Formats: sequence, structure tokens, C-alpha cells
Amino acid sequence: MDTAICFDLDGTVTTEEILPRLSVPLELHEEIDALTRATIAGTIPFESSFRLRVRLLQDLPLPEARAIVAATKLQPDVLAFIRRNTDRCFLVTGNLDTWVEGLVERIGCPVFSSTANVEEGRLRGIREILDKGSAVDELRSRFRRIVAIGDGMNDVPMFERAHLRVAYGGVHPPAESLIQMADLVTYHPRGLCNILDTL
Amino acid sequence: MQHPRHAVISAAGLGSRLGLDIPKCLVPIGHRLLIDYQLEVLSDVQDVRIVVGFRESDVMDHVRGIRPDATFVRNPQYMETSTTDSLLLATRDLRNPHLILDGDLLIHPGDFVRFLEHCAEGEDIVCVTPSKTDEAVFVNLDPSESRVEGFQREAHQPYEWCGIAHIVSARLENSTTWVYQELERYLPLTVHAMQTFEIDTPDDLRRAQRGFQEFGFK
Repeated sequence: MDTAICFDLDGTVTTEEILPRLSVPLELHEEIDALTRATIAGTIPFESSFRLRVRLLQDLPLPEARAIVAATKLQPDVLAFIRRNTDRCFLVTGNLDTWVEGLVERIGCPVFSSTANVEEGRLRGIREILDKGSAVDELRSRFRRIVAIGDGMNDVPMFERAHLRVAYGGVHPPAESLIQMADLVTYHPRGLCNILDTL
Repeated sequence: MQHPRHAVISAAGLGSRLGLDIPKCLVPIGHRLLIDYQLEVLSDVQDVRIVVGFRESDVMDHVRGIRPDATFVRNPQYMETSTTDSLLLATRDLRNPHLILDGDLLIHPGDFVRFLEHCAEGEDIVCVTPSKTDEAVFVNLDPSESRVEGFQREAHQPYEWCGIAHIVSARLENSTTWVYQELERYLPLTVHAMQTFEIDTPDDLRRAQRGFQEFGFK
């Protein structure tokens, strides 16, 4: 196999941010939204922001959380591409395995994610936050070329290790650091699909 | 009619001979900017890729307003590299026929439509324009004026290479040469004549600003 394509999940394959959706039933929408926006803007580091958001959202019963995440809107053309290429597409997400499992199943390709501590069916916290660079490293032994597609600061390690970097601004403009590291930049799903079709 | 699927505009350079502190693709002509006219003639091409370098965020911000689905190919080394380098960055993954265009051209829209029709025949095509620039790369045409047999800078010829080509089987490979030198390896090549203004100098810009209305842009 020649080329592996690593997709960030939030805002790249999905057309809406996932964690704000989880905050609605807990009535923490404003708080999570503010943290999400600050994280996208790069004013709070992803890791500390994610830890804080998980703390705020971990009381939501897991079955309910999974159902909400699984219903997240996906970009139809990107989804169609992934489904046609499940042997070389990978989701690389900082989100928690236990939250995204239903959504990942819907998308249908392998995933690298952060891992959760789940005890007796309840989310107790984060076990390990994914270093997206290590996901790329793992794929480098199996593929000649790694393409990384992302929009946020936690995609920087993935960009550092990839061969072709695509900064994608489909939902919000990509982080400026990511643009500065990118080979290709596009702000529209059609542009992204044009790129994917030539890989 | 089957349009070429991809078009690559090289717009990374500094445009230093123009003496403006903006990329050449963003110079105003009439009420619009130069790249607006290029994007207009490329409106039916599915995949438009623009190589950006000098003031890349200005170019990206402007183009996004007109062609939201454009892809930008970054050439951060634009100061040290050539147009061929920029095109190589953008075309290395393109297997299908594609167009290459210099970003400093004002192109006659009717002529461009005829060129796109010509592209449907599936050949490599070199575009030429009546000679008028100071540093022209002239083309030697065969007697029927349907094929380019050579490029040269010395002896004046009626037509010059205008920086537009339809690439099917030709390949750009060597970044240290000019684009026409890369195409030389595939001679003779089918030719297509069109009217263009190339904007290198303040005089060129004045000519284009006077001439664009005759091109019939809206």
C-alpha cells in the first residue's frame, strides 16, 4: 500500500464540533463552546482544554454521550471518499475512544484516538491523550507516504511527521501554525475532495 | 464538452519589475483584480489550484471570496525558486490532463473558451500570443502554423509563448529550467493562439488596463 490518509475528525470529517454537542443536555453549552473556541483560536493548549472539557462532560451517561456523538453531521463527500478507501484512510482524533466509537463505526475506517478510563460503565476520566504524531509514526512502517488533513493546533504533531500536509478550513479557518506547515490549503469540501481524488 | 479537470495558476512570485508591493495577481484592472479575470475564465474547471508565496494570506483571502473551493499550493521558498518549481509543487500528483497558467496574464475570455474546446481533443497544447513583451520567448511555427517547432529568445517572430499550456503527456521535471525549456523536450507541440496581456512592468499594466475592455469581460 502506497499512501495513507490521516483525517482529523472534528471539523474535518464532521461538519460540526463534537464536544459542544455533548454539552447541551448538561446545560454547559456556553462554557464548552467558549473553551472550544479558545482552543481553536490557539489561546488555550489543546491538552489542558480537552482535560477540562472532559471533566465538565464526564457526568453525561455514556450511552447517551455515544448516541449524541454518533449522530454528528458528517461531510457527505469526504465520508464517501473514506468509505471507498477504508484500507488507506485513518481517523486521527484527540477525542475519547469511548465517546466516538459509534461515530467511527458509522464512518467505517480505523481510528487512532485518546483513551478513556471507564469503570462500571461510567467515564472516570482520561487514560491517555493521543499524540497524533505517534499515530503517523505507526503508519509510516506500513505506508510509503502519509497525508495528514487537519484544522487545529493538536494536528501540529501529525503535520510534523507526515509527507503531505493539508490545512483544511471547512468549518473554521485552520490554525495559522498549521497553514504555515501545510503544503496545501483549502477552505471548502469540494477543494478537499479535489485533493483527495488525486492522492 | 469535456473541460480539463484541473488548472494550476502560478501566483507565488514577487513581481518585482512591476514595482508594486502586492502580488501581480492582485493588481487592479478596471473594477476587479487580475486574478478575478482568470478565475472567471476557469469557472467551468472543477479543480483550480493556485500556487501562493508572496503575501499568501492576501491572495488566499481574496480568492476564497470568488472561488471558495480553490486549493492553495504553498511555495514558501518563492524568493529562491522559479515558476517551474511552483508548477512542479502543484502538478506532481495530477495524473489527468491539466492546464498550467502564469498568474500575471489577462486572458481574452472568448479565446480561452476556444482553447478549452481545443483541449477536448486530448493533446498537449502550447498557447501563444502575438509578440509584444520586452523579454519575449518567441515560437517557431511550422508552415501550417499549427505546431510549435522551437522556442528561442533571439530572432523576432510573430508569436511568443504566453505561459499557458494544456498538459496531457508532457511532464515538468526539472525545476532549474524555464517552463518552455521543459516543454521543449516534447516538440513539436500543437499550438493555440490567443490574445493575452502579460503584466510584468508598469507599461504592461497600463496596456492591460486600457485593453481589458476590448476583451469583452463583464
